[in-house]
Amino acid sequence: MELTESTLLLDVVKVSKTYPPDVIALDDISFDIQKGEIVFLTGRSGAGKTTLLKLICCLEKPTRGYIEIGGNDLSKIKPVSIQKLRQHIGVAYQNFRLLPKLTVFQNIAMPLEVCYMDRKNIRTRVHELLDALDIIEKINVRTDKLSRGEQQRVAIARAAANKPSLLLADEPTGNLDSASTSRVMDLFQHLNSEGATIMIATHDESIYKKTRHRIFNLEQGQLQLIQTEAVA
Amino acid sequence: MKYITFILIQTARNFKQAWSSQLMTLLTVSLSVLFFTFFFLIYNNMLQAASRLGDELRLIVYLDEEVQPSLQAGYEKKIRDFSEVEKIIFISPQESFEQLKKQLGNDRDVLDDLDASFLPHSIEIYLKHDLKNLSRIKEFSEYLSTLPSTMKVQYGQGWIERFSYFMNLLRMIVLLSGTLLALTATFMVSYTIRLTLVARQEELEVFRMLGATNSFIKGPVLIEGFLQGFLGSILGLTALYFCYLWIQDHFSGPVFLNLFEFSFLALPQVLVILFTSILLCTGGSLVSIRKYVSI
Repeated sequence: MELTESTLLLDVVKVSKTYPPDVIALDDISFDIQKGEIVFLTGRSGAGKTTLLKLICCLEKPTRGYIEIGGNDLSKIKPVSIQKLRQHIGVAYQNFRLLPKLTVFQNIAMPLEVCYMDRKNIRTRVHELLDALDIIEKINVRTDKLSRGEQQRVAIARAAANKPSLLLADEPTGNLDSASTSRVMDLFQHLNSEGATIMIATHDESIYKKTRHRIFNLEQGQLQLIQTEAVA
Repeated sequence: MKYITFILIQTARNFKQAWSSQLMTLLTVSLSVLFFTFFFLIYNNMLQAASRLGDELRLIVYLDEEVQPSLQAGYEKKIRDFSEVEKIIFISPQESFEQLKKQLGNDRDVLDDLDASFLPHSIEIYLKHDLKNLSRIKEFSEYLSTLPSTMKVQYGQGWIERFSYFMNLLRMIVLLSGTLLALTATFMVSYTIRLTLVARQEELEVFRMLGATNSFIKGPVLIEGFLQGFLGSILGLTALYFCYLWIQDHFSGPVFLNLFEFSFLALPQVLVILFTSILLCTGGSLVSIRKYVSI
């Protein structure tokens, strides 16, 4: 599964998601993201941000509409291709989804192992990320022994480990102090400068209030563009 | 190469995570292999013994009168018409008497007052077939009893029948223990792997979300089954070899093992047992994978 050379990375077309019996999480939303963009997705808790991210990383299917990533229509690709596609998408989940019995190193190494990276490069990459997020001293600690803030940083490091083409971060600064928030945002900027497209779902105004990037707002399943990209 | 390295690392991780149930399964597979191969070893050796005894098996036809040399060719033809035989020997009472003396050894003096004429003329027929075909021997014996001048046909009916029944019993035990091995290996490995898969559901879920392919997730589980089969049969066969050495040490002597040469399983047999065990255990893990791992 390869992403096309087109500049359009993500195309969401008339997507709706309804949960039984009749809870409308997303209602006919459409937007696209170009390669190398950073986009913020804001909205209150329960607005549908997490649902949208789940649809993009193929954890759920839309009730209507379709989503294309790098030219691949997610509703038409085979399960094997979805797995290959997921290797290009890094996701930092709101509830972290870390494995508590594994160490920080083992958790961050997982996406790299999935791509069969050699052990030496895995070690280098994990150290690099933990240095950037200032938790290198916790490398051999089991993740259930970490604080929420530390767990959040490990989840972000795991999402970024594979240098994904698309990074989806769901409330990435929810448990962090301002210094850690700043480090996380620096990491995202660094990944973006290396070519990654980043979509950040957040209700933390401090991380997007001065941004020059596009901001979408989700309100009761409806999407609204509240800031267009500023011209430099 | 990288793929193999990762699969092996992941397999080692799986073993480490559920080492106690893995160890129990390994021991169960080993014991099943030992149980089956022990009876198979005995059966195998008994077959060899039967084959050797069969080489010496002969039917003796007692006659009520001497077969004149001119008629012997006719007798031979009639005998060979029914079955191919190794050799046919016409024995006079005098020759039987000498043979009896030899067999009595130091007690031969009991024959001092007797004359050879109390013994009948006889024909010794050495068979080509071994003891396995008891019904064929019976048929041959009945045929021989219809020859002219035949008084009686003897071939050690009693012990041949008992031996044949014993071999049938042994064959049944080998079949049952073989079935037990197959069931144990398949079900135990399947259930152990199923338990570890259930325990690892969260991990597998995360791996799926990170883009792990089918081969990445299923490969280590298959290797687990393969290793259970390989290590289990190696342990079982090693234990069997020590049993064999112990039997050699404690039962060899003028009475028991001198009757036949007690030998270990041949290399092809060992390889077939090893291969079958691996196949069954890998099959067991495949069953669990199909039920519990889906991408």
